[in-house]
Amino acid sequence: MGKVESPEITRRATRSSSSTAVTSNEVETAKITEPYKPTLNDFVFGGERLSFDDLLSSFPSRGNQIRELLRLLGPVNSPMLPLFIYGGPSTGKTSTILQIFRYLSRPFVYASCLTCYSPRILFESVLNQLLLHKKNAANRYSSAKHCDKPADFVNFLREDLVGVIENLKRSSKKLGSNKPAGRPNGNMLYLIFDNLELIREWDKSSSILPFMFNLYDFLKLQEVGLIFISNTSPDTYYSNMGYTEHVPVYFPEYTEEDLRQILTRNQENRKLYSSFLDVVLRPFCRTTRRVDELSTAFSALFRKYCESLSDLASVPNEEMKRRLFSHFQPHIAPSLNEVFWVPSKSSTEVEINKDTRRKGSVRKSQGCEHFAQIDFHLSTSAKYLLISAFLASRNPATLDASLFDSTGGSDSRKRKRKASEKSMEQKEAAEQELLMKGPGTFPLERLLAIFQCIISVADSFDEEEHENDVLRVEGDGGLMSDVLLQLSSLCNANFIIKGKSCPLEGSTRYRSTISEDLALKVARSLKFPLPNYLYRR
Amino acid sequence: MGIENQAEKSLNLIRSRICNPNFIFKPLSDSPDSNYSKLKFIISSSITEACNNSILLLGPRGSGKVAVLELVLNDLLEQYPDTITVIRLNGLLHSEDNSAFKEIARQLCMEHNLLFSKMASFDDNSQFMIAMLRECGLAHKTIIFALDEFDLFAQGKQRLLYSLLDAMQSVTSQAVVVGVSCRLDADQLLEKRVRSRFSHRKLLFLPPSKEDVQRLLEHVLSLPMDSNLAHDYATGFNEKLQSILADERFKEIISTYLNSNPTVNHLLRFLFLAISHMELKSGFLSLENFKVALSSLQRQPKQECIKDCSILEIYILICMKRLEIKEQNSYNFISVMKEYKSIHDSFPTSDYYAQNVCLRAFEHLLQRELICFTENRGHGQSIEFRPVKLVISYAELQEGLKSYRSCPAILLKLIDR
Repeated sequence: MGKVESPEITRRATRSSSSTAVTSNEVETAKITEPYKPTLNDFVFGGERLSFDDLLSSFPSRGNQIRELLRLLGPVNSPMLPLFIYGGPSTGKTSTILQIFRYLSRPFVYASCLTCYSPRILFESVLNQLLLHKKNAANRYSSAKHCDKPADFVNFLREDLVGVIENLKRSSKKLGSNKPAGRPNGNMLYLIFDNLELIREWDKSSSILPFMFNLYDFLKLQEVGLIFISNTSPDTYYSNMGYTEHVPVYFPEYTEEDLRQILTRNQENRKLYSSFLDVVLRPFCRTTRRVDELSTAFSALFRKYCESLSDLASVPNEEMKRRLFSHFQPHIAPSLNEVFWVPSKSSTEVEINKDTRRKGSVRKSQGCEHFAQIDFHLSTSAKYLLISAFLASRNPATLDASLFDSTGGSDSRKRKRKASEKSMEQKEAAEQELLMKGPGTFPLERLLAIFQCIISVADSFDEEEHENDVLRVEGDGGLMSDVLLQLSSLCNANFIIKGKSCPLEGSTRYRSTISEDLALKVARSLKFPLPNYLYRR
Repeated sequence: MGIENQAEKSLNLIRSRICNPNFIFKPLSDSPDSNYSKLKFIISSSITEACNNSILLLGPRGSGKVAVLELVLNDLLEQYPDTITVIRLNGLLHSEDNSAFKEIARQLCMEHNLLFSKMASFDDNSQFMIAMLRECGLAHKTIIFALDEFDLFAQGKQRLLYSLLDAMQSVTSQAVVVGVSCRLDADQLLEKRVRSRFSHRKLLFLPPSKEDVQRLLEHVLSLPMDSNLAHDYATGFNEKLQSILADERFKEIISTYLNSNPTVNHLLRFLFLAISHMELKSGFLSLENFKVALSSLQRQPKQECIKDCSILEIYILICMKRLEIKEQNSYNFISVMKEYKSIHDSFPTSDYYAQNVCLRAFEHLLQRELICFTENRGHGQSIEFRPVKLVISYAELQEGLKSYRSCPAILLKLIDR
């Protein structure tokens, strides 16, 4: 083994890197060589103390919330009722509260229910932090105490808290009033629980959640302050038994003006950026008001905005703004309809318009129909496989025989009957049902059968087109041994989802996730008459 | 500086009072017919007469049941330091029989300086408890079991309650079981064999009367004259407080606040907020502080959520509302999109976005919990096809839209129909 490089990043370091302002970690990094001895100072942020003006300026348009929180936290050593901080995602709840603690330099323990994804991990993480225990190779990455029941947790927690508070009291008495930076201030200890809404999805949520809400009453320690942070408002917890109300602090979503301030904050050329925001902010705000989503969308757009500009540091005048706008305008509308933007490597103008969130299924947006080509490479057999999967998901299995008979499905359109009113109603209801059900599942055998059918049909089309081409006649050559391989790669790309196995047959069932647009596009690239095969009620 | 220092001290004092239930409930319990006196009488008489007893404290959450019990227990521990052992259990923590017996054994061992074994089995622990009950009875020592969230112990087989109450039937034992619950029908939850062994003594905790509230306010907020605070500051503070308490507007604020929930803890939360908003510069409370506290406690989360939405998200909400008005019993994202398209076809606006952008907005709504999936299963299905429903009422939506800043006129028109 030799030298084991232990990633000795202290707790404070990982935490401060997540917040907006960067803490200087030089003190901590210097200690890497020698074994780090945790002390009471570990309960506060290291580095320089933040001034109140810095705190306010690092969170534009959060002044009200910061002042309110400071009021509620109160002066040094004053007890506090539990707080409940809530507001939408990316409204600055966590970073604000952490920076406030940096400003106050009061001791605190932070645990997020996102990283601590089960009661046991949450409890042990809090206890580890309290006991200044660090998991490393020497203790085989074990926790200080084994604890997975709330009952045990309360006992351990009370015991440890009393110990830590004793220490805090002693050290603050020793130091007197003049304290250097980076020392814990006061003898209150605050426990911060982040992402509380996630607990509702845990297995034992019905007992853990009331436990968390009543933690203050269990502990009965005046020197402990509790702070809960949640994405969802308190009324979403009402249904839980044993819910007790805490003092609410609300972080509203940013308004358009706030967003402008936040987005221009870290820009080099603020004038230029604000002229850019004049153009894009309003339309984008209509779709989403989240900072994270807007900033990623804007970073790419801003590059495009500056494309025609030679000097990035120049201050734009009216005429230049107009020129930039006319150059930039055609890009706005398509980018509004993009959720995720991947710069394509193929140097063409065409960008893959991907929606990689949630299962990463690829959907073509309707807004860019001028991209007739598919923007990613697929082999011909994979395309056929994709189409057959799409057909298998959309069409009822009973119709396969009539659609794929030897004549190639063209006669299936002959079923024409006058639609009576009742049948129209039925049709509507059926359509509704189809909408609700979504794509159906199918076994592998059906997929392969359809695949074989459409390949033979396609070959017959080809034959009609170039009758002299003898080499094209390959018959069953389309179905090669690597079809299964193709299928698994399509599954990996999330074009086809592998579902649960059917309880009756025991075989795996598949489901295609591609939209009709994409399927049609793929079919067009193969010159395959897909609409003929789609069953429409 | 002087005033600010004084103000900070008084702030600390009042905040620690609010966080200390013993302080809060002391003055409410000195009258002879208060729950405090009754409870104390019952428990102390069973201590002195060396008999078994059981009692239920019932009342809404936050009405001070546990606080009064703690007051009584503290007094009794002072009065009879050697003859009482108090075992505290909580239904939220120990509703499992196994952990409950373990906790009882642990606390008994702690009290009597015995060695507690973590590895002891359920059987060992329950036998230990019964043996301890007998031993204590022989030594004329009383064990008091305080069971918070009593209704949770009545779940399942109720083995803990049965073995406790059964052991108390014997002459030798000497124990008091005090159950605390916010369910008024807590004794009806008991099994027959348990109920027949339970004495049906109940103490009901009612919300404080108007006079009690007034007394409590004075008790919590006024500063003591004999502390290390400056005398003239304290008199000034108290005078200001008296004038606020006598103010009609203040009384109105208090009564609107207590209309929703008249319990003491609810009032304390309000006082905590008001105190936190006290200006340290002037050092005195003002009526404004109470007004601010009222407005920040009386929140309407759904309205806030709507104000947080983007225009597109509101479009989707309205589409869903329209689908519900059409009495479509279940719908999913795809049908919402169809409705969205039909709205766009009849009233073309610039707010027509691609499906993936709408899906993102849809997911935001899910996160805000303005909409939710109708059923929990179906995780295999992708989001677009899972049926959803609105969890916001028509009136809330309408009101939220009216207060929405720069709401497009078309949306207001759509919702009014």
